[in-house]
Amino acid sequence: MNSEGMMRLIQVQQWLYREARMLDERRYDWWLELLDDRIRYRVPSRCSIRQGQVKDFASWSVDRELDCEGSLALVDDDLVGLQLRIARLQTGMAWAETPPSMTRRLVSNVMILDNDADAMLSVVSTLFLAKHRGDDRVLFTAERRDRLVISGEDFRLRERYVVLDDVVLAGENLSQIF
Amino acid sequence: MNHADYVASDGASISPEIFSDASLYELEKRRIFGRAWLMLGHLSQLPRPGSFIRTLMGEESVLVTRDRKGRVHAHLNACRHRGFQVCQEDRGVTTRFQCRYHGWTYDSDGSLAMVPGEEQLYYNEIDKCRWGLIPVARVETYKGLIFGNFDADAQPLLDFLGDMAWYLDIILDRRAGGTELLGPQRWRIAANWKVVAENHCGDEYHIGFAHGSALPPDLVNGNRAAPLMFAREIRPGLGHGLGANIFPDHLRPRDWLSNGSPMPPFVLDYMVDVHEEMARRLGHQRAHIQPIHGAVWPNLGMVPIFNTLRVIQPRGLNEVELWSYCVVDRDAPPEVKAWIAAQSARAFGPAGSFEQDDANNWSAVTRSSHGIEARRHRLNLQMGLGHEERSERMPGEVGLTASEINQRGFYLRWMREMFAEICKGPSA
Repeated sequence: MNSEGMMRLIQVQQWLYREARMLDERRYDWWLELLDDRIRYRVPSRCSIRQGQVKDFASWSVDRELDCEGSLALVDDDLVGLQLRIARLQTGMAWAETPPSMTRRLVSNVMILDNDADAMLSVVSTLFLAKHRGDDRVLFTAERRDRLVISGEDFRLRERYVVLDDVVLAGENLSQIF
Repeated sequence: MNHADYVASDGASISPEIFSDASLYELEKRRIFGRAWLMLGHLSQLPRPGSFIRTLMGEESVLVTRDRKGRVHAHLNACRHRGFQVCQEDRGVTTRFQCRYHGWTYDSDGSLAMVPGEEQLYYNEIDKCRWGLIPVARVETYKGLIFGNFDADAQPLLDFLGDMAWYLDIILDRRAGGTELLGPQRWRIAANWKVVAENHCGDEYHIGFAHGSALPPDLVNGNRAAPLMFAREIRPGLGHGLGANIFPDHLRPRDWLSNGSPMPPFVLDYMVDVHEEMARRLGHQRAHIQPIHGAVWPNLGMVPIFNTLRVIQPRGLNEVELWSYCVVDRDAPPEVKAWIAAQSARAFGPAGSFEQDDANNWSAVTRSSHGIEARRHRLNLQMGLGHEERSERMPGEVGLTASEINQRGFYLRWMREMFAEICKGPSA
């Protein structure tokens, strides 16, 4: 990696850390400012699926467990959908978050996979999200596959695809942003 | 506690013990999940020979298959040798289920096809015909939905559904091509299954309050406990329940079809066309009914206004796994299906703007039912008692929305199934 690539990676990491901190600190209005107008935010359901012959282990890919034929995504939002999600939290009647969960996000394994011509970066990162509320404590792990639009020194989130490592979700709900 | 006190004879109060007594849960496995018709899936999930899905009946793993000849089967997902699950995946296509313990192998019709060492170790003395997978005693379908029943002597599915079938058609039989299911989304909630089921069955009362964050502000800021103008609770009997808008003839469907969620024009146009098709298929009366929520006894919940069906799978006394599906017309254009699926997930499912707030209510009710003091005191289900009416326009008894007519029906059915010998109260 050359120094330019190194600099870009640090910028992306810092952006992801800032984003995680905003969400942990419930600065949801700030978070909305990070989004590109054409954002697509998607959390597919994951299936444990029969993928051909058992001996064909190499073909048992993660991608085939996502968005299987006939499956139903957990979240499939555009900008308006995300704005409504945030507005709901701020009504004072979103009981699952009133009082709010206490969350902590750890972001790691950040890699820039691709720099394409449209001034867009493909970035993957691993998210570890701990959520505590009342008597409940839930841990989520996920890979996030992001597409970031470069805007000067900064970025806007154009696409986020969240690969949760659960077939049956452990938490009562998915009230938080991944 | 005397069994007769679990549910009052008119259904208007219950003891929290029914949510917290482990011996009752063991009895429910036999008397409710052992003999009710339980929803296994939908024919659309088995599109070709060899298609299979894995599901649950009560807490038992069940394998639903379409065999090589296209016939649908349901079997216990347990090898006859030691009981290991022969299928470890949620879905897929195969004609062979091989147990990972010792390798016994079954065909998609459940028959035992291969036993390793049949000749050398079993001396060819094992009668493979006797050791196929255990079939679920009865499997029947209703308008695409597949149901199973462990009780060979169970009444036919259509009788079990009773008048609820008339209402289910509004969801499942809108078009000649029928429907298909997308999903399930699956998640765990630390709640007794009945707390979740009764909410689907009859709880309109909570909508304006518990879901205040997801409703239009004008509805929330108004009197949220006032009866909704067109909505009614309908008790079809047999423990089933439904809440629906009953619109007067002079209102145009175009004006009310999108009242669950605002629709873009291409979706609304589709809905209006399909509504006309449905009116031709099902008749004038049903064309003016818009189901909002409901449940088929014991654990098939639904929120049709957001296109979702869900099975409330018990996973112990204090835990359920919700299996939430989106139901769409099979012949709808792909872009309409995609819009409905995304919109359904925005409202219901674990990330839904409505359902996020439900789970915590259900787990909190369950938790408080375990208190030694709390469980000595009864819970109130009297809303609308004695004000049920009959309607000429539709089968069943009708109450205002909100009314707890359907929760009473649910718990009275529970009493009859659990303690038939002491139940002589009014049927519901």
